[in-house]
Amino acid sequence: MTAQTFEDGVSQIELWHELMQFYINEAWLLDDRKFREWLDLFTDDVFYFMPRRLNVGRHDLDREVSEVGDLALVEDDKTYMTMRVDRLDTGMAWSEDPPSRTRHIVGNLVIEPLPGGDLKSKTAFILYRSHHETDENIFAGSREDHLRNEDGRWRIYKRVVVLDSNVILAKNLSVFF
Amino acid sequence: MAVSNKKYNVIDLETGKLDSRIFSDPDIYQEELEKIFGRAWLMIGHDSLVPEVNDFFHTYMGEDPVILTKDDKGKIHAFLNMCRHRGNRIVRADIGNAKNFMCSYHGWTYSNEGDLEYVPGEEEAYYGALDRKSFHLVEARVETYAGIVFATWDPGAPSLDEYLGDARWGLDVFFNRLDSGTEVVGPVKWIEPINWKTAVDNCSDNYHVPTTHLSAIIVQGRHFGLPRTTHEQQFESPNKHLFINGHSLTLRFLERADQARQTHGVTQENRALFEEYYRETLPEAERRLGSLRAGKLQLGNHSLFPNGVLGFRLAHPRGPLETEFWHFVVLEKGMPDEIKRALRIGNGNFNGVAGIFEQDDMDNWRGVTRSSLTPLARKYSHDLSMGLGRAGSDPDFPGTVAERYTSENNQRNFYRRWEEFMNAEDWADIPIEPVTADFEGTATLNG
Repeated sequence: MTAQTFEDGVSQIELWHELMQFYINEAWLLDDRKFREWLDLFTDDVFYFMPRRLNVGRHDLDREVSEVGDLALVEDDKTYMTMRVDRLDTGMAWSEDPPSRTRHIVGNLVIEPLPGGDLKSKTAFILYRSHHETDENIFAGSREDHLRNEDGRWRIYKRVVVLDSNVILAKNLSVFF
Repeated sequence: MAVSNKKYNVIDLETGKLDSRIFSDPDIYQEELEKIFGRAWLMIGHDSLVPEVNDFFHTYMGEDPVILTKDDKGKIHAFLNMCRHRGNRIVRADIGNAKNFMCSYHGWTYSNEGDLEYVPGEEEAYYGALDRKSFHLVEARVETYAGIVFATWDPGAPSLDEYLGDARWGLDVFFNRLDSGTEVVGPVKWIEPINWKTAVDNCSDNYHVPTTHLSAIIVQGRHFGLPRTTHEQQFESPNKHLFINGHSLTLRFLERADQARQTHGVTQENRALFEEYYRETLPEAERRLGSLRAGKLQLGNHSLFPNGVLGFRLAHPRGPLETEFWHFVVLEKGMPDEIKRALRIGNGNFNGVAGIFEQDDMDNWRGVTRSSLTPLARKYSHDLSMGLGRAGSDPDFPGTVAERYTSENNQRNFYRRWEEFMNAEDWADIPIEPVTADFEGTATLNG
């Protein structure tokens, strides 16, 4: 990474470091099951999208990731995201009671500044999940986020999670990405 | 067939006791692939998945991979995805558009009508002795119902119309309401650690909803203003729980013809939009289905024998202990975009692999499946006695109708149907109920 600066004088290295800390913090919030604090990383107008990943030939790669309008694995706004978190506190969300044990590993961060001071970032992740006695899943994929600065903090207003799996080899996706 | 000759006698209709070995025994499973998935009409796709000529959609019939093609004349075919030379798969993608399919092993090439069109070295290597015409792709019988593609391997199977029989009377309420028909989005695919029958059985299980899905019911009440589904409601409901010609249906009564249907995606906020839509489409629906089916009923949870689950969703068997589930959402083509969006998102976020309702089903069904794995547990049969002797005919509805909306009558009959297939020598032994319902209106099997 070169020591370029953005328009407001912030160096790219500082920004990369700041955002990497943001994602490390996010991973710990999820793995420590602080889901309310995790929700607060998203704006109220957030669009959280996990499309389907199709298995297609090379000449059809434009159809590999399903678009908005097709059925997705997750297509949440803040209300749906809040419902997912609220559910866990009812004491009757059986898929997460006993809860999953997760480890989110996030890296390969690249940042693209957007006009008006917003940021677009891309990260790669591995999510390990252990559940009940012997259930294990490993999910891999990418996340593309759009972030804006709200009250001096970065918040995500759009997240697109693209899994690398076609048929999901898990009984459910009751953990957060 | 006399009872004494029955190989399988797994459900006792007098007591409701079910032999749990059917969920995990590998030999029974292999026989299911042959006698159920090799015989029945199976839902395998939808017109809207192959909109253009030469489109293909890769699907399954049981564990057998199947290529659903639309040839250049617009005819739909279903082929076993297997090269006739050495058995290799000739299609490896989920979807695409192709006039020909070339096997990547030796280059045998088939048309999308199934003909073996080209064999490298036909004259030289085979000395002209290969009878190319005899190597047509293995082809299933295909018929459609209101855009849904069904297929069967068995030439002795009755027509799809007979196979659905009076069940179509209820299915039409959802699948066959408007002239312009339906389209599907999806599928979301995942592997469930369950026997395929548990997912089908559950479609008639109104009993589990207030317990299994309580957390989702609570939060959808809080955020969407929806009334809470309770046991009391489910027990006292006047809604109908019917078993018709092998298929399990539930039908809910509407208070008004323009009532927003009880389905995922409807909220207090967008309810008026749905009401307006149902109001506007009512005359067309009445012309097609008559006033009872168009304006007084909603199709609730249902399953089509063997593995069609709630709407157009598929439970593909993957061994006795695993099921590959395909979650689609069915939309009426003419729906305004805002309604399509609400239904897509609601059905996508509440059901499917990440759905806040469906994710809570998985460990229950796994528990049911695995209860048959040990000699000790197998001694204790499952109890499906709910509502025994409390079902019969109803002057207003076809099939066998349970007295209450919460009943295990459909599940008992599902396993009885399973026995009928498993004990039959061929289709001549499998009973088909005659069509007796009054299919008021202009809608037909073909839309």
